[in-house]
Amino acid sequence: MARYVIVGASLAGATAAITLRDEGADGTVTLIGAENEPPYERPPLSKAYLRGDAPFDRALVRPAAYYAEHGIETIFGTRAMRIDPSTRIVELEGRRRVPFDALLVATGGRNRQISIPGGDLEGIYGLRTVQDADRIRREIVAGRRVVVVGMGFIGSEVAASLRQKGVDVIAIDPSRTPLFRVLGEAVGQTIADLHRAHGVRTVFEDTVAAFEGTRRVTHVVTKAGLRLECDFVVVGIGIEPEVDLLDGSGIHVDNGVVVDEYCQTNVRGVYAAGDVANHYHPIFNRRIRVEHWQNAIKQGAAAARNMLRKSVAYDEIHWFWSDQYDANLQYAGFHVNWEQLVVRGRLDSSSYLACYVNGGRIDAAVGLNRAKDVRRIMPLIKSRRTVDLEQLRDESVDLRSLA
Amino acid sequence: MATEFVTAIKTSEVPAGGVTAIDVRGARVAVANVGGTYYAFDDECTHEQCSLAEYGELAGTTLTCTCHGSEFDVRTGKVLAPPATVPVKVYPLRVAGDALQIEV
Repeated sequence: MARYVIVGASLAGATAAITLRDEGADGTVTLIGAENEPPYERPPLSKAYLRGDAPFDRALVRPAAYYAEHGIETIFGTRAMRIDPSTRIVELEGRRRVPFDALLVATGGRNRQISIPGGDLEGIYGLRTVQDADRIRREIVAGRRVVVVGMGFIGSEVAASLRQKGVDVIAIDPSRTPLFRVLGEAVGQTIADLHRAHGVRTVFEDTVAAFEGTRRVTHVVTKAGLRLECDFVVVGIGIEPEVDLLDGSGIHVDNGVVVDEYCQTNVRGVYAAGDVANHYHPIFNRRIRVEHWQNAIKQGAAAARNMLRKSVAYDEIHWFWSDQYDANLQYAGFHVNWEQLVVRGRLDSSSYLACYVNGGRIDAAVGLNRAKDVRRIMPLIKSRRTVDLEQLRDESVDLRSLA
Repeated sequence: MATEFVTAIKTSEVPAGGVTAIDVRGARVAVANVGGTYYAFDDECTHEQCSLAEYGELAGTTLTCTCHGSEFDVRTGKVLAPPATVPVKVYPLRVAGDALQIEV
């Protein structure tokens, strides 16, 4: 009987455990997580759950009783400290040792910390766990003032949710627009406009130099010299992969746990999936680390299949959504740079599809209120075929006919 | 309240591979046309209430709500892919001449 052990009771980890059982794993399945809660999905934490529009139960990957009922042993509230591939042991805090035959690392990430004067004042929050969301929820009262530091996806969604609850929001980001690093200036500008239209005061190309206050934060001081009064602060400046437990293990770490297209590390029988996995992507022919919901599910499942020696290459076209106010933003594919940004519709309207094109191929596309177009362009991205850019731009051409 | 079959829409109003929503006795019902076979179900996605007629993409009997990617089997309402976890309610449907009748 094989011993399947999963470190990280995350969406990726839980999905792997469920998949192992669904696909007939003959052996024990053990799911280990640092958090006390059964595995839950994080997207609602910056949206419906943060606003109080959805209960926590709705975010659970499976009902709490599911795991025991399906022969999945759970060890929650316990951090894994060390992995020893030579003895095939995971060591947990409290010195407990868990032996494995196949191991999945799905430890996700931890929030990047801001190290500036006043960073330890009360009233400054990050957002990763449900406890983080609960702490922010307790601050939400219409008319109070928040400074949101960082306008990536988490910052942008938090800014939107807090505005929807009537909180006055000032958003700061060192780039020229929100989501600048991923989406670029032209698209980012449309998101800036969206936030401003909803009453967010935006401060771009400036960074936070210090937090001020005696016990609690009362002011945010920026490098450019702004001094912004506030009642609380939410910091969303990205995550770092949670890889401490791999120190000294010989497992290759480079911007996360390095895995091949079968989700396997350089150590046979040790796999990684989700936010923590820097995976080789056969379609884009490079390594990619993705911090989104769909990747956690799909890669978690793919890793489980490979733990069962089914040899299934993971070649999913990455996709995510970000709901902000009543706008639905979606992205599919993968891009870093682009030669051309080909737009269906107009960027200055409330609905467009913008395609990041290199060498006549669509590497990725982002849609604002264009859910169907994003779905329809995914086969085109996956095919890696060159497309007629005039047709791509032409709204009268059905994207499905180009695929 | 007893249910009965109510004429809801003409077959010609639901193109092949398409999904159309209509109001039937206060319920918003979506009708899908899978190669000439029709299926009726609640128009509202059980995940975040997107209209399945507006956002749904039909491939065979699988309907993808493109808002957030949930997939349903239009024959049974069963969830085929998350984020939705709750099945969508389906309604009995019958064809009477060129009319589609839905039991509500």
